[in-house]
Amino acid sequence: MENNVKLKMTLPDIPDIELVAVEGLDKMARHLGISDEKIGEARILVTEAIINAIEHSGKEKMEVDVEFTMTKEKLVIFVRDYGQGFKPESVEEPDILKKMGTENKRGWGLKIMKSMSDDFLIESNENGTKITLIKNLV
Amino acid sequence: MEAEFNLTSEINNDCLVLKTDGYVNNYGGEQISNEFNKHFKNGIKKVVISLAKSKVVNSIGISFMIEIIEQLNEVNGKLYFTDMDSSIEKTLTIMGLFSYAGKASTIDEAIKSLN
Repeated sequence: MENNVKLKMTLPDIPDIELVAVEGLDKMARHLGISDEKIGEARILVTEAIINAIEHSGKEKMEVDVEFTMTKEKLVIFVRDYGQGFKPESVEEPDILKKMGTENKRGWGLKIMKSMSDDFLIESNENGTKITLIKNLV
Repeated sequence: MEAEFNLTSEINNDCLVLKTDGYVNNYGGEQISNEFNKHFKNGIKKVVISLAKSKVVNSIGISFMIEIIEQLNEVNGKLYFTDMDSSIEKTLTIMGLFSYAGKASTIDEAIKSLN
């Protein structure tokens, strides 16, 4: 139990609910003695994965399943929504220069998750989207 | 569970210094943008945002900073971020903000660079 801690939750779509997951992640990481730097990066990954699920599900009311599996060496973050899905390959990589002068400054979630994680997998279809992120903690 | 967010602002050596406290999400980003706009209309061109009391940000909140940078670029102004947690600094780096904004360890250091 000491070497592998898990947390599963289903989050309702209410404002800032991602902070509940972040709080759980913090507790697990402190328990395992993970460094502040790695905890900070894990917080960003969790936040982006959950807001991505809530923002882009395309449903008015929805739930998001979140699961963390953490050891002293590695964190696996799994986030699943039951929305209408999207084609990840059709999402254009954001560029700050292109964002300037346009109305839409958003759309950074996938880039941040890819760049800050050590492994990133996204599966999406008409039944929803699953994101798996792996973060090395040492 | 809704996050608390507070923002304080002051003018120091012709620089607008904004200090965030709490989660910089959509609401937090909008508060920063609104406060900036109040001062920008009055001619402020140098801005410092201290994130010392913000341990969590999201990309939607940070997107508002791109709008601030854009407005400052039009008047040859400059934005500096200070007191960042390493993960927040990494997030802003991934988004490319430091191609257009500065970063400093402290507010004083940022003000010195701006003047």
